[in-house]
Amino acid sequence: MSSKPQALTSVGPMRNFSTNAKKIATELLDANEDLAEFNKRLTEYYQQLADTWANAQKKVNTKMPKIPNDQEKFDSYKRIWIDIFDNDFTELFDSHKFGENYGKLVASELELSKHWEQMVNVMLQSANLPNKKEIDEIYKELHALRKRVSKLESQTKESKIRSK
Amino acid sequence: MIEENSSRLDPKLVEEFLKFGKNMIDAPKLVPAPDEINLEVTEHEVAYTEDKVRLLHYKPRTSMQIKTPLIIAYALINRYHILDIHPKKSWVRNLLDQGIDVYMVDWGTPTNMDKYLDLDDYVNGYLDNCVDFVRDESEVDNVSLQGYCTGGTIATVYTSLHPEKVKNFVATAPVIDGWRDTTVVSNLAKHIDVDKMVDSIGNMPPEFMYYCFSILKPFEQGIEKYTNFFRNIENESYVDNFLRVERWLGDTPPIPGELFKQWIRDIYQDNLLIQDKMYVGGKHISLKNITMPIFTQVAVGDHLVSPECSMPLHYAVGSVDKTLRVYPTGHVGMIASSLSQKKVLPELGQWLKEHSELR
Repeated sequence: MSSKPQALTSVGPMRNFSTNAKKIATELLDANEDLAEFNKRLTEYYQQLADTWANAQKKVNTKMPKIPNDQEKFDSYKRIWIDIFDNDFTELFDSHKFGENYGKLVASELELSKHWEQMVNVMLQSANLPNKKEIDEIYKELHALRKRVSKLESQTKESKIRSK
Repeated sequence: MIEENSSRLDPKLVEEFLKFGKNMIDAPKLVPAPDEINLEVTEHEVAYTEDKVRLLHYKPRTSMQIKTPLIIAYALINRYHILDIHPKKSWVRNLLDQGIDVYMVDWGTPTNMDKYLDLDDYVNGYLDNCVDFVRDESEVDNVSLQGYCTGGTIATVYTSLHPEKVKNFVATAPVIDGWRDTTVVSNLAKHIDVDKMVDSIGNMPPEFMYYCFSILKPFEQGIEKYTNFFRNIENESYVDNFLRVERWLGDTPPIPGELFKQWIRDIYQDNLLIQDKMYVGGKHISLKNITMPIFTQVAVGDHLVSPECSMPLHYAVGSVDKTLRVYPTGHVGMIASSLSQKKVLPELGQWLKEHSELR
């Protein structure tokens, strides 16, 4: 329920807009919470990459303490470097801790995009344009119609074959 | 004196660095732009279309010896071109040269409008209509069906639901037992909130797939591959091969949201297919319904679909006549390499000849 002063200042279509503006503010506040979660997960993601890099480099250093300066040994150094880094990073990407954090990172990113979507929806509504939900309903309806047409086509085809 | 010598760079190494730098500068002059590369190698016609799906029919290159046509259900990731990437490495061309009549399903590029397409649409709609079209056109009761990667999953589900239309089933690196898959892709798939993802962004965007590719051997693929490319910049055949595969890698269509959701949930997260608990379009998928001859191909070095994920199909089907081949290569190496030309395809061709109607 809008306050009386607000009702006085926002008349006609503008009243609708002021109500919607409140929704945008609420979305922005909620997005902040999800932004904190996103930052936490993103930090953890980069931390995992950095730790793996440091450990892999240590392994390389133990195996070949100095970067060789002749062609043949340089190639074998590069081979060892790539093998160790690929192994260690594959081990990371294959681990539960990486998968779990990555899943939560993506989920928090999706939450943020959802807030953005809600804000855009408010603006679209203000401009009297269809929002995502409404377009999705059309897509769903189209999909159902395509299925019905396809079913009817195959039924017609079958009955034609039977009548021959 | 020793210290001084050890810190001096080998002239050969310096020369190599300089040559590498020159090659990088010369690259734009020597290498065609990606758009200039035509990935359509073997002549074909579009035999059937439905929505965005196309069924390609390849022109015969020899007198057809086998009456039973082969339909290839390509994967949902990247495009069918890898099976016809280069005249000397073409899966399709090799099969044509062996006298096999080859059709290919191109799933097309779904748009937002297609976000509600699901496995039922792909299996009982598009693929079934393609199979019916080929059966009519070739005047046969049933066809040979090959599924590659995720196309292998679709073909498996199809074969279980429509066994009467499939004379022979070829499963090439199929995604079957998600819990046994040891790849990094399956690790990500298991931890994704797929409902939230599809609800928020609709179709699975190509960018997500590119991220998955980037974590597969990131240093070999991200450094060594490109180092070798610049080293071989003057080798026309190397550059041609490289660019074809690169162009193919960089062209993956979105995956319809509902289909992606079902695939991730039913295969990777709940692992329903191998447990005989999966339903598509309200129909139960039992692998025991697959009783026709089956030829399963897996690669030991497959880092996209591990052999442990594909091989259970061989043991779970109801077929008596079943063959399992394990090749010492990777996911792409199995279908587009000299090994596939010399070993994988001759074995498949021979098997198809032995199990098909001859002319």
